[in-house]
Amino acid sequence: MESERIEEYLEAIYKRQGREAPVSTSSLAADLGVSQPAVTDMLRTLENKGLIDYKSRMGASLTRTGEERALLVIRRHRLWERFLTDVLGMKWDKVHKEACRLEHATSPDIEKGLSSILGNVDTCPHGHAIPDDKGNIKQGENRPLSAFRPPVKVRILSVDNEDPKLLRAMEKLGLRPGAIISVIKKSRDGSLEIEFQDTKLTLDTATASFLTAEQLPEVSFTTDECEISLGELNSGESGVIKNFGGGRGSLGRCLSLGFTPGSIIKMVENYRRGPVLVRVHDTDVAIGRQLAEKISVVRTGSS
Amino acid sequence: MKKITESEEITVALAGAPNVGKSTIFNLLTGLSQHVGNWPGKTVEHKTGVFRRDGLTMNIIDLPGTYSLTANSVEEQIARDYLVHENPDVVVAVLNAASLERNLYLVAELIELAPRLVIALNMLDVAEQQGLKIDYEALSRTLNIPVVPIVARANRGLRELITQIEQECGTAAGLRNVKHIEYGSEITDVIDHVDRLLDDGITGLYPKHWTAMKLLEGDEQINKMIRTRMPAERWPALDSYLKEHESAAVTIATLRYEWVERMMAVAQQKRRVGQVSLTERIDRVATHPVLGLFMLIAILGVMYWLVFSIGVPIQKFLDINLIERARDFIYTLSYLPQWLQGFLADGVLSGAGTVLTFIPILFFFFAAWAFLEDTGYTSRAAFVTDRFMHALGLHGKSCLPLVLGFGCNVPAIFGTRIIDSPRARLLTILLTPLVPCTGRMAVIAIIAAAFFGSAAVLISIGMIILSLLIMAIVGLILTRFVIRGKSSALIMELPLYHVPDIKLIGMVTWQNILAFIKRAGTVILAVSVLVWLLSIIPNGNINDSILADIGKFLEPVGRLMGLNWQMMVALLSSFVAKENTIATLGVMLSGSSGDFTQQLKAILTPAAAVAFLVVQVLFIPCVATIAAIRQETGGWKWPALILVFQLVLSFAIAITVYQVFSLFQGM
Repeated sequence: MESERIEEYLEAIYKRQGREAPVSTSSLAADLGVSQPAVTDMLRTLENKGLIDYKSRMGASLTRTGEERALLVIRRHRLWERFLTDVLGMKWDKVHKEACRLEHATSPDIEKGLSSILGNVDTCPHGHAIPDDKGNIKQGENRPLSAFRPPVKVRILSVDNEDPKLLRAMEKLGLRPGAIISVIKKSRDGSLEIEFQDTKLTLDTATASFLTAEQLPEVSFTTDECEISLGELNSGESGVIKNFGGGRGSLGRCLSLGFTPGSIIKMVENYRRGPVLVRVHDTDVAIGRQLAEKISVVRTGSS
Repeated sequence: MKKITESEEITVALAGAPNVGKSTIFNLLTGLSQHVGNWPGKTVEHKTGVFRRDGLTMNIIDLPGTYSLTANSVEEQIARDYLVHENPDVVVAVLNAASLERNLYLVAELIELAPRLVIALNMLDVAEQQGLKIDYEALSRTLNIPVVPIVARANRGLRELITQIEQECGTAAGLRNVKHIEYGSEITDVIDHVDRLLDDGITGLYPKHWTAMKLLEGDEQINKMIRTRMPAERWPALDSYLKEHESAAVTIATLRYEWVERMMAVAQQKRRVGQVSLTERIDRVATHPVLGLFMLIAILGVMYWLVFSIGVPIQKFLDINLIERARDFIYTLSYLPQWLQGFLADGVLSGAGTVLTFIPILFFFFAAWAFLEDTGYTSRAAFVTDRFMHALGLHGKSCLPLVLGFGCNVPAIFGTRIIDSPRARLLTILLTPLVPCTGRMAVIAIIAAAFFGSAAVLISIGMIILSLLIMAIVGLILTRFVIRGKSSALIMELPLYHVPDIKLIGMVTWQNILAFIKRAGTVILAVSVLVWLLSIIPNGNINDSILADIGKFLEPVGRLMGLNWQMMVALLSSFVAKENTIATLGVMLSGSSGDFTQQLKAILTPAAAVAFLVVQVLFIPCVATIAAIRQETGGWKWPALILVFQLVLSFAIAITVYQVFSLFQGM
């Protein structure tokens, strides 16, 4: 089946293009599980059909026609995956293989039928965007999880790996596209400490690079991104002192009382009017409202 | 180690934050040998005392309570100037184990100024109750400073402290390798640069390197000193360098606190567990905007209730059994000339003698005040009242002296020095005389008790509320229309509450009473004799005397508030000392029959009695207060203004009150 093989190749090149361009024969050989000379032969054929530009030793890149064709295949693949999970109720770790076969036997009519049954879906179960029937695909701000700097709060967008073992493990944790996690710490070996649904987990380097995510507005799980004034901290909340906007006169007094940048400060009482009572370095200190407005803090949580 | 030689005399300074038990240690060591005065030119208490043991004489100085040595307040300035200029042999840093983190900051600063340091770690028992465990030995090893655990309240560990001070004295200064704080090369370079910009000798007794650091920290006093001593052409270079490195202040403080944190990691074995400490529990009420106010009012209520239920009966007992009997006894001594009998009985005994019988009453005021201060409550009172102070364009810091004004206006006027903004300070000075002091309240208490019996407590509290209300209105008018400007920032520590030290309170009360007795023996005696003289000149009959003439001259005004000329004279005499009102009344009414209550009721209607209380509580401040205001505002302008203003104000309000009350009485 010529067309099926062509589609397989175009799909593989498309997926690779995101990471390397042009795509080398060796990586294609690895992705498709065929020998390098076979890949070279096939690439020549594709070039003759005007689907790719191919330069020996450099690699292949899709032409406009090639890309449209590839996206069409990808559209069918992802629609099938959706169908299999959503309609037939299959597990997401099994649908990739099935869809690989079905995508090539899909007529435009079946494709239309699938898309109307599924309604308005725009991603596959793994979180990847489904191209529309004209071969356009939405490009999101997907970054690998490993590229974020903790502490940060993110939403998982996709899993770039079809390994059933990994998918099953993720399924078990409930860690699916759309899940919101807090990345707490990145250790030296690249593994991440994350918090998800109030439990702490460790993701190894490989997993962290397979997951893509987008950053949520908050700086970290319990911290608002913006600095607020001390006067805005509610009773019982804690914060870290960032900055001091008061004049030289009150600065010395504030400093010797321990209002130094980086100090943890706890709001003991803030009644929105009148002075506030805070605890800093183990001592309760009363601060007038005007001065409290001049000290900026980052909220870290409440106790 | 050198052995202390016979009869050696050493100087020991006690340093520490407020409310760490420093004064308790001072009292335990010095007992009654202590001398209390003021630091030269300052109104901060200066306490010295002597401790003797086995030929060793220790002169002990109790430095003002401070959290740091950066001259943010008069206290801090005094403390560090003492250390630099007097160079005591040993400095004892008294720390509260229950709030060690805050207290260690002072140690970080003391290390740089005191060659020989001993740490007295107080209140270990309190810390343990809070679930804190302090490894003082580890702290001592790390700091290379002796640390002596003590419980001053139970008189434990003081013997060891003395021994440690003695030993420390035997060590050559600088022998101990006390680890100074490492500031890191970056900031050290900046400090060194400033150090090089300073000429030798320009810093006086202050260490040069230390001065450089203080300049960078933005210490205004040091900055001013260097600016005046430095050749004018070289100042701009230093000034611009300091401005360029303004952030050094933050870095230095941050590094100091990091040092403190390292020390805490060494010393604190067990972190504070999640339990709510006593201070937090009390503060939930005491600093609450509504409950806190109720608490303040309740505390004042209890204070006055004690005065009325115990103090007043004792005063009455003394008045009847001591003064009256002594007077009777003097008149039985027929061999004395008549003028001497009059002088002793009517001049001295009825005047100054009567004033002295108020000691039981004053005892409660002073004791209650000392109690509130020692427990740490006064700063909470300032906190809850800060809201109202803000309405007056002032803040909690102004409130402290004003609250102090309840005790006596004179220290309150001097106490305004803690306010950094000159505007807020002037405002506070102008408002202070409207705070009812113990002198005024004693008079209010006596008259109210004599006239209204059981309703006296309510009437007295009403008088306090009235004068505070008037103060608020006056403050509002002053800040909005007379002395306009920006109000400055409040920042103040709330010390941990602790069980009050009865001995300490006793000592403070005793010292206050002693001062009162001294005043009674001098100013008050003089005025009572003067009033007696005025009352018998020219012919011995009070109704024809000069005093009566003055009173009668004022009677038209007095009549508007239901007061006869005798009451007016009594009021005027309060200018010398507020308590004199009673003394004067005592002299003037001595001719009529019955006891004080009956005499009063004979000349006052209830409406007039209320009017008299009002005019008394708002009347011109006493001579001592006026003198203090003159000194603090640097001229006669403000005191004169206050005299005229309060004279008009008190008369106007008292007249209004009398007219309104009479209306009700008539119905």
